[in-house]
Amino acid sequence: MTDAAFQPSRRAPVRRITLHPLFGAEPVLAGTGILIGLSLAVTAGAMVLDSRAFQGEDIWTKPIKFQVALAVYTLTLAFFARWLPQGMTKRRDYRLFAGLVVVAVLAETAWIGGAAMFGTASHFNVGTPFKDALYATMGVLAVMLTTASLVYGIAIGRNTASGLQPAMRLAIALGLVLTFVLTIPVAGYMASTAGHLVGTPALNARVPVMGWSLEVGDLRVAHFFATHALHFLPAAGLIAVSTTRGRTAGGPCLGCRDRVRRLYGVHLPAGAGGPAADADPLTPVRLTPTRLTPAPSQRPPCPRRCFRASSALATLHPRSRISPSARL
Amino acid sequence: MDADQLFNLSGPIAMTGWALLAVSPLAPRVAQIASGIAIPVILSLAYTVLILVSWSDADGGFDSLANVMKLFDSPMVALAGWVHYLAFDLFVGAWVVRRARRDGVAHILVLPCLLLTFLFGPVGLLLFLAIRAARTLLAPRPIEA
Repeated sequence: MTDAAFQPSRRAPVRRITLHPLFGAEPVLAGTGILIGLSLAVTAGAMVLDSRAFQGEDIWTKPIKFQVALAVYTLTLAFFARWLPQGMTKRRDYRLFAGLVVVAVLAETAWIGGAAMFGTASHFNVGTPFKDALYATMGVLAVMLTTASLVYGIAIGRNTASGLQPAMRLAIALGLVLTFVLTIPVAGYMASTAGHLVGTPALNARVPVMGWSLEVGDLRVAHFFATHALHFLPAAGLIAVSTTRGRTAGGPCLGCRDRVRRLYGVHLPAGAGGPAADADPLTPVRLTPTRLTPAPSQRPPCPRRCFRASSALATLHPRSRISPSARL
Repeated sequence: MDADQLFNLSGPIAMTGWALLAVSPLAPRVAQIASGIAIPVILSLAYTVLILVSWSDADGGFDSLANVMKLFDSPMVALAGWVHYLAFDLFVGAWVVRRARRDGVAHILVLPCLLLTFLFGPVGLLLFLAIRAARTLLAPRPIEA
């Protein structure tokens, strides 16, 4: 296709799909995630052809769940990698660490897929010296791949030049650190017991898709929420930052302050110390004073909540014409 | 020569090609000439000769799975099938190495593709195509003119 002889003269430039803006900050982890994602085509095909069951589930369910989980995990880390300290992903010790994480992720995928292929258990498969050693090795690799979230969490949390709003940075850092801190004891405890169930189910009733037991305790529920802290906390942070932007991030805009002054007779000070009310919580911008108070004409239309927030502030003001009780 | 002797001969020939591909960064041109052309040609010639001399003896055909299986009851046809694998797998392996060099894929990523192509043909090809797809997806968007 790139032969010199074949050069279409008038052709619109090819709009190639690229995930670079999303995951380009860490191509090695992102590439691993994409590869594992693509390999779902293989396990899905195996699920269709293979009628074998293991512990009451299709034998390929577990590999598919792990593939999805590991692809999401590596792609999430690659997404967060943009907020690592500048130059960190180029450092030799980081590259070595990332390489080890990738090897651990691929080994886990191969181990769980291989166990399904041979129709045997992956986790809790002990008894012979070889099986014991394999299970122990996989445990070490699982810890290895989880440490990536700890390293990312600490590095992003300490990176004051990330350009993230402080609340957002805290949410991402806490989520990443908690993924490690919560997953290790939960998964470690699970590994030390004989299985993931607490009790013996009689009916084998399960939660759809996730496969958690509906009758007895299931440690995988805790594992799920522990491991997805790196999604839940940043999501909570994003919601918190977005919904409270007018109140916390630099105060209401000039137009709304003006309306509030006319309505309530209260002059609200322009917010300081945070980004503009309309700042996108994820946009890595340097917070310069000009960014805080742009001219009114340059401001995009402010969200309704900006006015609501400034009204709420005004009613609380001691010199307000309208008292908080009259507000309702 | 009987089928067993030819089989024992075909293995080392193909293995030479795979060994050259594995160390191809040391001598890329030699590896391409040997593994990309010379050895596949030798194996393809052997395949053609085997089909010429054995096809008339073989039962079966291509119309059903049972008939295809019957074809391989004849040792000479089964050997021809084996040589077919060896020739095409090596040719694909050489293509993978060539393409990876052109696209700048690190040889350490190519080695597992070669191993899988050697053992399970299409699996290695799939892995290489998946690696290329991932690289393409993550490449920065070219600046549009």
